[in-house]
Amino acid sequence: MTTADKTVLILALALIAALYAHSWAPAPAAESARVSSAGKPDLWLALGADREVVIEGVLGPTDLEIRDGRIRFRRAPCLGKHCIHSGWLASDGDFAACLPNAVAVQVVGKGTGFDAITF
Amino acid sequence: MEFEVTREDIRIAWLTALALGMYVLEMAFPSPLPGFKPGLANIVTVAALVCFGWATAAWIALLRVLAGSLLAGTFLSPGFALSLSGALASLMVLGLAVSVSRKALSEVGYSLLAALAHMGGQIGAAYCLFIPHAGLFKLLPVLMSAALVFGLLNGIIARSMTQVLLAK
Repeated sequence: MTTADKTVLILALALIAALYAHSWAPAPAAESARVSSAGKPDLWLALGADREVVIEGVLGPTDLEIRDGRIRFRRAPCLGKHCIHSGWLASDGDFAACLPNAVAVQVVGKGTGFDAITF
Repeated sequence: MEFEVTREDIRIAWLTALALGMYVLEMAFPSPLPGFKPGLANIVTVAALVCFGWATAAWIALLRVLAGSLLAGTFLSPGFALSLSGALASLMVLGLAVSVSRKALSEVGYSLLAALAHMGGQIGAAYCLFIPHAGLFKLLPVLMSAALVFGLLNGIIARSMTQVLLAK
């Protein structure tokens, strides 16, 4: 290996380290959550203060819990409870929905990590 | 009409055949993840670059992509487009490296540059042509790490190959 080879190798290692740092940095902390419920305007909830919010869905009241800058479905009148099993939504772009109930929650920070999610 | 076959043509044909052999051999290996391939055929490109110059290396690399795609049945498929863009990117970087470094680089440096450029060109093409989503770049560091390792190994193999070739 010549000196130039070593220079190339070091530059390549630096490039890869920079790529890891850039692409794999943890998602920015969430700031607020957008709650969509059928037939109603979107509701924006700040995630700063811990509390519970009741949303009126198509099937009935749905409890959302906000704690430590995260949000989750706590109680929902649907059958499958997929929304509750989605657990805490903490990072930018995290999304959960209660489809039978037509309630969806997306956590939003400075920029969203995903542009669409399918189940 | 007759074509004059030069020594250079015959050399390119032999080396391309060698690169194709390596390419086909490599197809037999299972890949742990899509995109992880040792790129053994690049050994021939790098060795040819050092022994016979950039033009010969470019012929070998491009003919290998074309004939390899015919053998694999992927001619003009998305895989072929990625393969071609990777080869073009690595040839551009190799051409630049040859003119800038003026023999300061050995096979190892060339192979490393070629592998990284190949991967970069492929991901760039995949983004522009097939998956225009920023999520693709999450793969970039992992694939580039693989390119670094394989580029180094291929460079070492190319080095021992040229030492035998040039000793004769």
